[in-house]
Amino acid sequence: MILMPNFGVVVAGPPRTVHLLNNSEQPATVFSILESGQKQVPLVSDPLFMDLMKKLASVYTGKQQTRMEAKGPRFEVADFLVKLGTVTMNQNFKGVLVEVEYRPCVVPAYCWELIREFMQGFLGTCAPAQAPVYLQNRMQEIYQPLDTIQQYLEQFREYRKAVTVR
Amino acid sequence: MAVEPLYNALSAIKTLRSNVAVAFESLGNGIRSDHGEDGKETKFLLELQDQLTVVNNNLRDVEQSIGNLQPPHNPFSLGNSGYLSHEYSHDRQALYSQLVLSYKWTDKVHEYCNLAHAQLSQNSLTRSYTNTASAKRRRVQTSSHNVPPHAVDKVITQIDRLLPEMSVSITRPFATNVVLHVSVGRVLRAIIAFKGLLIEWIIVKGFMESLDLWTESRFKVFRKVTENAHAAVMRFYMPPMPEVSVKSFMTWLHSFNTLFSDTCKGCGLHLRNAMPPTWREFRTLEPYHEECKP
Repeated sequence: MILMPNFGVVVAGPPRTVHLLNNSEQPATVFSILESGQKQVPLVSDPLFMDLMKKLASVYTGKQQTRMEAKGPRFEVADFLVKLGTVTMNQNFKGVLVEVEYRPCVVPAYCWELIREFMQGFLGTCAPAQAPVYLQNRMQEIYQPLDTIQQYLEQFREYRKAVTVR
Repeated sequence: MAVEPLYNALSAIKTLRSNVAVAFESLGNGIRSDHGEDGKETKFLLELQDQLTVVNNNLRDVEQSIGNLQPPHNPFSLGNSGYLSHEYSHDRQALYSQLVLSYKWTDKVHEYCNLAHAQLSQNSLTRSYTNTASAKRRRVQTSSHNVPPHAVDKVITQIDRLLPEMSVSITRPFATNVVLHVSVGRVLRAIIAFKGLLIEWIIVKGFMESLDLWTESRFKVFRKVTENAHAAVMRFYMPPMPEVSVKSFMTWLHSFNTLFSDTCKGCGLHLRNAMPPTWREFRTLEPYHEECKP
């Protein structure tokens, strides 16, 4: 499992950030999230979008130094999908990220308790009591691959701020 | 009408015909070389006489067995096949072999049915209502296989209105029989094939999966639920009251609305062997794990 956010900044006007992310679960897709002030514009596209961004080098300057990656083994337990990722920022180890997905259920609110119980089973007290902030507003909506990406982005932001290893 | 004397008469006729054929053949061949040289005419005459005696005896047998037959009381009702006599050229019909085949087939079915009935009437665990009491017999038995389509539609739309979390759409890909697409909340989808008002087949799948009658779900949970649904179809099977049967099955299926959010009544937990409670009690609709069910 690899996730590689690249950051770009618009030269003209107020600086805007574009996050480009890949997920090994959807290998033929590039997710990009444009941040402009409070608003976020997500875009799901072909891998060719990466090349397009390189062509736009005059508008967007790549900030390769903030390339982050979560890489590790992937397990399946019945219908659960568990991914253990070691998070690195520019080859510096930052921490361990655990992703748990319950694939049969498409509405987070229905299965959050179930996922929590599952996580308590192997994480013990480390398991979070609350759903991630991003999901809390979207508990009743149908889950999409983009929601996974948004949560990773949320986590990566935390890691960038953090100084110590989590 | 007894079949045994008819068989006897037919076989007697067969023997008669074959022996007559033998007699005429030897008469037509005349004196052969194996009759020898001296007195060949007498030998030939004696042989012919023997054969004719045999024929005579056979004829007597035939007459006797025909005497045993009773003429049918009423004219045979031939149904539509009675019209066959209106066609003057018999070669054009090419029906004879097919008729013989279907006759043999029905004969066999009849025989097997008799055997099966003898077996089933001994078995006390029968789920079909074959040995209904005479009081029940007076009521007209409703057929649950052969129900007019609008009646099926009516029952299903009634159930649809009854269960708010369930949406149902009726399709008829194969002429009259209904194939039902059901979605329960945003949890699962099911496809149900009906025969009249009896449920024949069901597959349960995830909410985002594509539905068809033959492929199983990608997820272990829904494969288990499909298995349990088959058990439920059997449990609710009730041919004299098909509407009740379909209704209780649908109510049961509707209870899977809380498949992921309910805890097991047995152990109080969500998960056991990484599976949610996939079993619903038939009467109370209480959720249980496969391992916890009472």
